[in-house]
Amino acid sequence: MTNSIGEIRDADFLFVIGSNTSEAHPIIAMEMKRAVQRGATLVVADPRAIWMTSIAEMHLQIRPGSDVWLLNAMAHVIIEEDLVDRNFIAEHTEGFETVREAVARYSPEAAEEFTGVPAVDIRWAARRYATTEKAGIYYTLGITEHSHGTDNVYALANLVLMTGHLGKPSAGLNPLRGQNNVQGANDAGATPIFYPGYQRVDDPEVRAKYERAWGTALSPDPGMNLNVMLKAVGTQIRGLFVMGEDILMSEPNVARLEAGMNDLDFLVTQEPFLNETARFADVIFPSAVYAEKDGVFTNSERRVQMVRKAVEPPGQARADWQILTALARACGAAWSYTGAAEIYAEMAEHAPKFAGIRHERIEHERPGGLSGLQWPCPDEHHPGTPILHEGGVLRGKGLFQAVEYRPPMELADEEYGLLLSTGRTLYHYNAATQTRRETGLTLKQPEPFVEIHPRDAKRRGVETDDFVDVSTRRGRIRVRAIISRQVRPGCIWIPLHFREARANLLTNDVGDRVTGTAEYKVCAAEVEKAVAAEAGSARFPGSYYRLDGPGPGD
Amino acid sequence: MKSENQLQLDGETVWFAEGETLLDVARRSGREIPTLCHDPRLEPVGACRTCLVEVAGSQRLLPSCATPAVAGQVVVTASDRIERYRSSLMALYLTDHPEAVDESRGRDELLEMADRWDAPRDWGRMTPIRSNRSDDRNPYIDFDASACIVCGRCTRYCDEVEGVSAITLAARGSRTTISTVDRLSLLDTTCELCGGCIDTCPTGAMAEKGPLRLADLAQSALSKVRTTCNFCGVGCQIDLNVDPEANDGRGRVVRVTSPEPGTTTNDGNLCVKGRFAYDFIDHPDRLTTPLVRGDDGELHQASWDEALELAARGLSRVADAHGPDALGFVSSSRCTVEENYLVQKLARAVFHTNNVHQCAAT
Repeated sequence: MTNSIGEIRDADFLFVIGSNTSEAHPIIAMEMKRAVQRGATLVVADPRAIWMTSIAEMHLQIRPGSDVWLLNAMAHVIIEEDLVDRNFIAEHTEGFETVREAVARYSPEAAEEFTGVPAVDIRWAARRYATTEKAGIYYTLGITEHSHGTDNVYALANLVLMTGHLGKPSAGLNPLRGQNNVQGANDAGATPIFYPGYQRVDDPEVRAKYERAWGTALSPDPGMNLNVMLKAVGTQIRGLFVMGEDILMSEPNVARLEAGMNDLDFLVTQEPFLNETARFADVIFPSAVYAEKDGVFTNSERRVQMVRKAVEPPGQARADWQILTALARACGAAWSYTGAAEIYAEMAEHAPKFAGIRHERIEHERPGGLSGLQWPCPDEHHPGTPILHEGGVLRGKGLFQAVEYRPPMELADEEYGLLLSTGRTLYHYNAATQTRRETGLTLKQPEPFVEIHPRDAKRRGVETDDFVDVSTRRGRIRVRAIISRQVRPGCIWIPLHFREARANLLTNDVGDRVTGTAEYKVCAAEVEKAVAAEAGSARFPGSYYRLDGPGPGD
Repeated sequence: MKSENQLQLDGETVWFAEGETLLDVARRSGREIPTLCHDPRLEPVGACRTCLVEVAGSQRLLPSCATPAVAGQVVVTASDRIERYRSSLMALYLTDHPEAVDESRGRDELLEMADRWDAPRDWGRMTPIRSNRSDDRNPYIDFDASACIVCGRCTRYCDEVEGVSAITLAARGSRTTISTVDRLSLLDTTCELCGGCIDTCPTGAMAEKGPLRLADLAQSALSKVRTTCNFCGVGCQIDLNVDPEANDGRGRVVRVTSPEPGTTTNDGNLCVKGRFAYDFIDHPDRLTTPLVRGDDGELHQASWDEALELAARGLSRVADAHGPDALGFVSSSRCTVEENYLVQKLARAVFHTNNVHQCAAT
């Protein structure tokens, strides 16, 4: 996020795109609700009707994967109606002309055909965004989990740059991180191209610095991203180490991954629970959960906050950092870490963005201030950075990137007539190893389901609560059908939490060209009635959007 | 600050900021003013009347929480008249309120306040006639009407902050209670089980069912550990309430509470997962020893030394046979920054490959 979470309540215009905020980031949603109560305008762009659309001024219910059409058309309107911030463009950006040329053919009227959103709505949203000073964009995986996810982000950044909605309170570009420490894991260098603090592995000076620090020669070649790595499992990748992810639940096209896992020479995992991936593991280390260890998580607003040990881990389970230290020693390295503070200090010493952050600084709350510190924080006296790009774009000039629409890798066809998106619900979390062990959450949402529009259900003879087989070119799962106008006609939606019906048997593992992030949000699918429901057998799915189903107690 | 933004508070000239109420100004200036219906996250309603102050020009006492600060106001926060009103109010509240705090339900600010302000407790007893919903099968939120003072914090929180309007004030007069449409279970309403009603309730009328099941556990025996929630990327600060004696001294998380509003990014708020999903910590399915795959193809318990040795040998063999780039390291956005740092250092400095990526990358 270029802004901080606390600024959301003061925003006057919120453009939420590809983010089911109230289910995936409930507390950020509360800030948005507060802004709307104050009188802010909320516009939601999403293929599904979600909770947030119930308080939105406008819902742009786009076809899955048509984001670039929508965003380029908004840029088209802003340029055509001369609502751009000329001073900002002149002073802080470069490459505006390329975008002006590129979006010229993306008229809202043409966009209406591709997106399904009326041109008049696109115009209205573009005008309101451009002409409201405190206008923030908030997005999540609905933007990035596409084969053109990077294009989607560029198209959003173009809107930000041409309107100058950057580096100011409540105005910026705000990706909401899906997991507690997505930001921190990237910050720490758990990426194939960066050392900690976004220092490139193929920069000889940086590499030399880390070779000195770590006392060993380092590879100059960028590594494989996760998408490429997992596709190479069993061929080029012969040994795999996995900490804290059930890859056979969470990665796309898991049938293909499982086939590769069969040919893997060696697999080590570190987990608090047995999971799907454990079936292939040669060694499993029992790890502590967050309540049993010290360290830091870094949230969506770049805030580094303490994780504190409250209870001892069960049996012989250990904190992951302890396991990693022991493993490195077993591999012959002279690691001797005795605490998380020491490890953080080592990381911060060589990463200028975090140079001023230490456990000692964030251990105690500062009077009147919020907890933790937001990076960049270059020295020990620096107060942290709540708003990025304040007083000018960090890289010097914000670079416009013209993008052209590219369709998702799969569209509906005669064989697979529907478009499938997957996602998270409020009551469970990812692979649900934690939340499905919580009795209350399981009571609220006990079983996997697919949301299907009444029109599509009727054509397939599917009635509410029937069990259906959902299939794609990669796999098939059986789930309960929920007939709902929450999804567009021609679209279905499945939550990713249920191991008995893994959504990722269905998803497409094609990756974005830059990031490798897979196309979880769009693939061609078909639904077939499997078993008719016994009346009243369905358990409440946890969402009150069962618009066309019987209400509770019916 | 504008020069005209000043008023007289108990004879002292004080400044105020635009939009502040008399309660804000008085508390900032160190005055002690009791409140029951006030929550900084909610629009003021002035319902409980415990925060009354004298304002020159007004014959009636005014609720300071709902009275905006105005330049030139002359305000008195402590006087015999105020004392008399307050003490009568509290005495009235106490007539149908439990006489002792039920610790398993959390604090009771009314009883604390009555002690602090020495409110009379001899105004007789009435049996509360507000109805409960004790048949609500929801797993988390318990409502005890006898402790309810109808301040409406829970219903206003549900409307204004969580925005789902699942609970509402129902019935009239002394029967006024907190209910749902058709007295449905919260499970069958728009309620998202955030538990904010529990958090904001000043008297423990709204309480968490989990700790109620551990009824013999006094809240005072719990220790609180401030940490960061392990679910989404908002980074809510939470207080793990730990029974330190449980599990043979390992300790057990028995509830999660949120820090005071205004002190952390989450402003005192939590969602259903943050507040209630902690059973997994102490779940019998937890792995408690290393496991290694035997020749029989099954997983077997092993010692740490054995497992570490086997893991090191297995990874090294791959690197020796096929080169370092035949290894892949999947790190985790669920783990700490320090642990992610160590995974990439393990990949890079020990095994000499940049094939390392965190799980959220795809």
